[in-house]
Amino acid sequence: MDDALSGCRWLLPLDGTRLPDKKLIGGKGWSIAHMLSLGLPVPPAFVITTEACAAYLDQGSLPEDLEEELASAMRWLEEKSGRSYGHGRSPLLVSVRSGAPISMPGMMDTVLNLGINAQTMTALAEESEDSRFARDTFRRFHELFGEIVLKASVPELASDDDLADWLARIERSAGRAIPETPMGQLRATVEAVFQSWNARRAKRYRKHHGIADDLGTAVTVQAMVFGNLDGNSGTGVLFSRNPLTGEPEPYGEYLRCAQGEDVVSGKFTPEHLDEMKTAVPEAYAGLLRASRSLEDANREAQDIEFTVQHGRLYLLQSRTAKRSPAAAVRIAVDMVREGMISLEEATQRITPDQVHSILSPRLAGGAAEGATVLASGLGVSHGIGVGTVVTSADEAESRAQAGDDMVLATATTSPEDVHGMLVARAVITEHGGSTSHAAVVGRALGLPSVVGCGPGTVTGLVGRVVTVDGENGRIYDGALEVVNPCETQDQRLDDLLAWARQHSPLAVYRDAEAPEDVLDLEGVDDAADPANLPALIQGSRGVRGGSIASEEGVRAALDAGVEYIVGEPTLPILLAALQADTPLPPSAQQSSLNENT
Amino acid sequence: MQDLQLVMHGIAVKKYATVEDICAVTGLANDLVATLTAEAVTKGRVSEANGKFLLTPIGQVTLKSAYSKAYGALRKDDTFLAAYEDFERVNNDLKQAITDWQTIEIGGQTVANDHSNKDYDASVIDRIGAIHERVEVILERLGNREERLLRYREQLLSALEKAEDGDIAWISDATIASYHTVWFELHEDLLRVMGREREEH
Repeated sequence: MDDALSGCRWLLPLDGTRLPDKKLIGGKGWSIAHMLSLGLPVPPAFVITTEACAAYLDQGSLPEDLEEELASAMRWLEEKSGRSYGHGRSPLLVSVRSGAPISMPGMMDTVLNLGINAQTMTALAEESEDSRFARDTFRRFHELFGEIVLKASVPELASDDDLADWLARIERSAGRAIPETPMGQLRATVEAVFQSWNARRAKRYRKHHGIADDLGTAVTVQAMVFGNLDGNSGTGVLFSRNPLTGEPEPYGEYLRCAQGEDVVSGKFTPEHLDEMKTAVPEAYAGLLRASRSLEDANREAQDIEFTVQHGRLYLLQSRTAKRSPAAAVRIAVDMVREGMISLEEATQRITPDQVHSILSPRLAGGAAEGATVLASGLGVSHGIGVGTVVTSADEAESRAQAGDDMVLATATTSPEDVHGMLVARAVITEHGGSTSHAAVVGRALGLPSVVGCGPGTVTGLVGRVVTVDGENGRIYDGALEVVNPCETQDQRLDDLLAWARQHSPLAVYRDAEAPEDVLDLEGVDDAADPANLPALIQGSRGVRGGSIASEEGVRAALDAGVEYIVGEPTLPILLAALQADTPLPPSAQQSSLNENT
Repeated sequence: MQDLQLVMHGIAVKKYATVEDICAVTGLANDLVATLTAEAVTKGRVSEANGKFLLTPIGQVTLKSAYSKAYGALRKDDTFLAAYEDFERVNNDLKQAITDWQTIEIGGQTVANDHSNKDYDASVIDRIGAIHERVEVILERLGNREERLLRYREQLLSALEKAEDGDIAWISDATIASYHTVWFELHEDLLRVMGREREEH
């Protein structure tokens, strides 16, 4: 630890030399310390501990020596960052966050850009050669400080408003003055964090969840970094693997001479990562190293936000990457092959729904181009269904028995419509959302379903041949070409399948290989609702049809001691059985640093 | 305002009010409100149907002129005006939060929120909780000049806490004194005090 701060009673510098207890430094401070302990570049930060919070709550004011320690810690941040707080030509701006060991509502939100005042705004404008950015930084700080610390209603700042007038309006609304110096603002913010521990919502939350009232919150103070200072600065996002395809290649975007919010705003078109490699090669190499370390440490594909300031890389946040179903499968199986996770973990990471989405029938490439969209709604059960639209379950049933493909379209569905849904190729409703009857039964049956298409939809569709896409929620005119993916054609799915078959608590057979002793629920109305399954399947060795292949169906089968299920594709059923047997672990641990741009 | 006018004001804020409703808005005692509503009916300023009271056109006009007399000074009071302007701003935030409560984006489409996503609902309730902290400060400032307005603080908090405890109808159900119902009445009350019209965007 740095000598300058070694004697501090109330605060701890985060310098990577050790990983203090989460109870002492809070969740946010801990994740910064964790990244530092991996040797990763993170903007310098220190933490005011939960013990200081306890002392504050006890005596109703900041501990006396905390003020001095805070001043020393700010000097330490100044040295680390090579910038100065509240004055000088390279102003140091900091963020202040609350950090309880457990996150809870009502705790104070982040205040950004502390350290900006009229003087440092001018310095920042010169340094970045961007006076709009400097004014914007000034505005953002006072908005957050006004709303979060002073609980004021901050008026909008027009581009030609006088800043002093605007500040006076904030003070009027708050009924008190904004502290004059940046150090005073920092103290007020720290105090507001401590006070928020006893905010009404936080207190109620703790009471409701049985969390001790004396845990207290820590405060993390971190230097802000800027991606818009020169051509060797920039900001971007890196995925450790491609989130769309799962390819094990870093994938991301970089925007030279910009701040994080510029990327989000869509005002600028980010460049390919190769541009970053050319512009700031060392930062680029560091980013790829960091991506590997974070992936190794978390054993999950990462989504990393970063900023480059004067050619130097800083990581702002890393979390588990969101991904497409196809990428989820590829990443999980690749990680098994790379020895990062076990096959068992891989089968726990992929949901039956993701596999359904990959294996469900889809429109042939280009089939939807030029097709007329007759209606659209919320796609709630994927797959493609093609057929003639009828408006009653009875008609769907009688015409399906004659061998026709039918699509059932109604205002809403109810249990009386289930016999029609059982034989339909797809279902469409005018009303309802993702938990409506049509959605729930549609998903249980694996029936492509689009709900909430709006009043009048049925009248416009009746009698027409349509193609229903239960994923994107569109209903196309005519019969479009459909392809049916197969679970054994994909090597990675095949790997999962082999392992899942070996370990599943029940067997799953395809139709062609089904044993003779099997209860067939095909055509049994009640079997469409998984809630009815326990009574129906009791005492059976094997079951097919109805909603038995859904996740709830599989759970019911396991509870009833069923030995095998017959259905296709088999992998989602096997995964559901494996996951019912071993409950899903809590989502992969995140090392999160939050936005600090 | 005189008690009779205050009773009429209570009816105006509620549009269609029982004696209990009027008591809740005005803070006047039940007996007094019952007497005064009867008096207002006799004078032709209020009409009654099924135990609920409604302003007559003459009642509307009388009340309007009563406002200018009672609140003329308040309408020129800088402190009150500044607090009122702050309320209008936080009102926009609340309207957005209520819209987000009633709708949810799924797969890029905005659909009615069916409240099946508990995390989403909790995040909106939390946002309303943050808005509440701001409106409490504003109500205090308004209440310094017109004490009656402080009554909305408890009503809003009571609805919010019921919703936080899991009874989510208390966010925006129009048939009960939900957070949005009370907020709407508070806004109506303030508009009448200020002599302004509601702006709909």
